[in-house]
Amino acid sequence: MTAPRPYALLAEVTYRCPLHLSVLLEPCSCPQGGGYSDMHALNGELTTDEWKRVIRDAATLGVLQIGFSGGEPLARRDLAELVHAAREVSLYTNLITSGIGFDDDRISALRDAGLDSVQLSFQSDDADLADEIAGARAHRRKLDVAAKIRAAGIPLSLNFVIHRRNIDRLPEMIELSESLGAERVELANVQFYGWAFLNRAALLPTQEQVTRAREIAMEAKARLAGKIDIFYVLPDYYETWPKPCLSGWGQRYFTVNPTGDVLPCPTASSAIPDSRFENVRAHAIDWIWRESESFNRFRGTEWMPEPCRSCPQKEIDFGGCRCQAALLTGNAANTDPVCTLSPNRARVDAVLRDINSSNNHAPDWTYRVNPKTLDC
Amino acid sequence: MPIESADAVQPRLAKGVRLQTDSATGKSVLLFPEGIVELNETAQEILSRCNGRTFNEIVRALAEEYDSDVAALAADVRETLSDLRRRKLIELI
Ligand SMILES: C[S@@+](CC[C@H](N)C(=O)[O-])C[C@H]1O[C@@H](n2cnc3c(N)ncnc32)[C@H](O)[C@@H]1O
Ligand code: SF4
Repeated sequence: MTAPRPYALLAEVTYRCPLHLSVLLEPCSCPQGGGYSDMHALNGELTTDEWKRVIRDAATLGVLQIGFSGGEPLARRDLAELVHAAREVSLYTNLITSGIGFDDDRISALRDAGLDSVQLSFQSDDADLADEIAGARAHRRKLDVAAKIRAAGIPLSLNFVIHRRNIDRLPEMIELSESLGAERVELANVQFYGWAFLNRAALLPTQEQVTRAREIAMEAKARLAGKIDIFYVLPDYYETWPKPCLSGWGQRYFTVNPTGDVLPCPTASSAIPDSRFENVRAHAIDWIWRESESFNRFRGTEWMPEPCRSCPQKEIDFGGCRCQAALLTGNAANTDPVCTLSPNRARVDAVLRDINSSNNHAPDWTYRVNPKTLDC
Repeated sequence: MPIESADAVQPRLAKGVRLQTDSATGKSVLLFPEGIVELNETAQEILSRCNGRTFNEIVRALAEEYDSDVAALAADVRETLSDLRRRKLIELI
């Protein structure tokens, strides 16, 4: 099928992240799967000029918006220069950050470069006794950074990664967002890829928790309408129909990773074992987006198996998420098993049954899994 | 402040929201964190006038330009702005 024009680029500018050093403090799960040392990362990372070219080429292709992510994007000293390059071609620029490494100088440099907004992630769960002290320390740093971002006049979004251990604290999270003067809040249930997939049994909330959380989020959304835009992302295992992942593969978004691979989806490289991607050092982005096998593999509806193929929903949910299909059924081309019509839905139901059975004890939070699978 | 009760309010783009022409289509779009909204003609006409004008002034300007009924137009403008405000894309001052 012919390629549509893309709208947004996720620029993962580095794998480096100071929180690598303190996984106990801040368990978060970059979809990329980290485990990169600084040296590794630096050796292969795109240079400033290469990123500038990527940004210009993306704009030419139709991209209107760029998210700078990682790893921790602040680990790149040339970030303000990249933001400036993006503004020169009229992109809307969003910085996606843990806030670690954000001081006054960098905030003003980024503001002066034209940064449009900052999305600050909150994922530490200080309810956990073991890391209570460390968690509180990171938390305080983030609060401080949030205040500085506000003082610099940069619009602030907060992103809370929600899971079984913190989902009951939604009211407190919403309260915190109000007091920090955030414009937007994402209450995003953890997506089960990478590290989070390995820890699914400890992370997936119970039915009861999910029902309550949804009510709280909906109530807050209505109450704060016009003040804070609240966006609640459900844990999709509890859904009947799959999420319209990426609005379809190769339809609106693409990701460029730190070493220049162009991905239809940021999690695809780890979740879909037989995936191969093109690199901006070898090919023009325009060609990669329009012509490459990686972008055309699941583009449109031609690739779909039954039950999607003959389903009226296929233009609405695009058959769900390819990564989820790969992780749960072993084949990325299957219908997303969250779909009630999927022949593999029983696998999702089995997970839910386990989580919700009354004699289930949540397994220990696996902080110390193989460092290669811990990231961010 | 509901738009209904204060026709003297000045609607303006909310913080972090940019109105821009999409060079691929020539259409107007609103850009904001993690989001893009393509504006229909009505919304575009309204938003391009949210530059210090009050709600009433916007309605009057549009009514003049399109030679249309003020009451009907006011209802349209109110609906469009309420919708944008609910999504925190505009604010009222
Ligand atoms: C991968 S991080 C990278 C940028 C930066 N280091 C940060 O912490 O924001 C981007 C965002 O994704 C969130 N995130 C990470 N793993 C996730 C998962 N498995 N499910 C949902 N969100 C996740 C993080 O909390 C953060 O808001
Ligand atoms: S069968 Fe496929 S297209 Fe139909 S609802 Fe399920 S995932 Fe969507």
